[in-house]
Amino acid sequence: MSQGTSTHVRIDAANLESTRPLVLAIDDSPDVVRLLQVRLKSEAVEFASASSGLEGIELARRLRPAVILLDIEMPGTDGFEILRMLKESPDTVQTPVIMLSGLSSAHDKVTAFDLGAADYVTKPFDIAELRVRVRAAIRTFTLFQMLAQRAQIDGLTGLWNRSHFDRRLVEEVSRHARHASPLALAMLDVDRFKHVNDSFGHPAGDAVLAGVGSLLRKIVRDSDVPCRYGGEEFALLMPDTTPEDAAAVCERVRQMLEQVTWPRHPEHNVTISIGIAGAAKATQLAPEAWVERADRNLYAAKSGGRNRVVWTSIESPLQLNRAG
Amino acid sequence: MPTQPTDQGPLTSQFAGDADMLELLDMFVSELGARSEQMRDLLASRRMDDLRTVAHQLKGAAGGYGYPMLSQAAGVLESQLAAPVRDLGEVAHAVAELQSICDRAIRGHRPAA
Repeated sequence: MSQGTSTHVRIDAANLESTRPLVLAIDDSPDVVRLLQVRLKSEAVEFASASSGLEGIELARRLRPAVILLDIEMPGTDGFEILRMLKESPDTVQTPVIMLSGLSSAHDKVTAFDLGAADYVTKPFDIAELRVRVRAAIRTFTLFQMLAQRAQIDGLTGLWNRSHFDRRLVEEVSRHARHASPLALAMLDVDRFKHVNDSFGHPAGDAVLAGVGSLLRKIVRDSDVPCRYGGEEFALLMPDTTPEDAAAVCERVRQMLEQVTWPRHPEHNVTISIGIAGAAKATQLAPEAWVERADRNLYAAKSGGRNRVVWTSIESPLQLNRAG
Repeated sequence: MPTQPTDQGPLTSQFAGDADMLELLDMFVSELGARSEQMRDLLASRRMDDLRTVAHQLKGAAGGYGYPMLSQAAGVLESQLAAPVRDLGEVAHAVAELQSICDRAIRGHRPAA
């Protein structure tokens, strides 16, 4: 039996990309880890374990478990300290943590809950009780995630909303600057939207916005982030995409929208103007500057006659126009 | 410390009939002998902190393997080692108790075929 501080990490899941929730056990006792693994087999979960707290934190950041079982008394960094670290990291702050402990004093329980533990189970644990507690923690986490995601979605169009866009833009711009990966941002604005609203009524306007939303969701790739930016304006964030490829995606959006027949006004087509800023290599542009550049091209598309895509590649400020 | 003469019969896990547990029990019990010796050695060399870790882990795990008596005895040893002033005689007695229970568990275990 190892008493040292050597650590090991085991990932038992054959397929971690499966949708089964992942249980991460952090415990220095191999006996307890093996026991948990076997006793949770009947639950529809994947199982991973770490034999030290710091290893566990690393694994939690990487695997995003639905629940963490955390031993309190471990050599080196103890469970309370690990819990504190998990709750300080934005990656793991929402993950429910069930403390497993041989300590059962009220003081230890209070400390654990104060630090943000979701639950507390004393060892030796009753397996039926542990199972339902794990199940309850996973249920809470799943609901929380669903709500959090819903709060990021625009009700009318089904696209990501503005606050999600703002957050993702910052993330993607920094990733682009760090890894020198390509990045493109498109701003899209429905042409003469006010005219649709005034002539055919607000429900018709809403139908156009919802239609643009579903068209965007259909055309863009999984890695793209289509958002409703506000009003009749949309934003499309395209990580790992060169300006040329972004222009091709947007050109398809433009063409397909033009061909849509609208039930409320079959005689009236709807078009869209699109401005893109993109960079194939790393740039040091701030997130707001990305929006400004894309906006500038959007205005150019509008003043150039609407229903067109205008894009610039950031390292070479040569402009290319694609007329509709 | 006054002691009752303890039952020395073989000890069987509460989960001996549990199909999920067969393999785990084999593994757990097969390590008990080594653990028992390890405790004796740690006591002899007065490595009380290491001894406490072994007792702590045994306390946490044994109940889950269907040996509450083993958990309890390990808990007694752990709390004696955690006391501000340790009584070597009592610690030695607790280790002996624990070793005797380990021995009974080994004798009472029937390995899976």
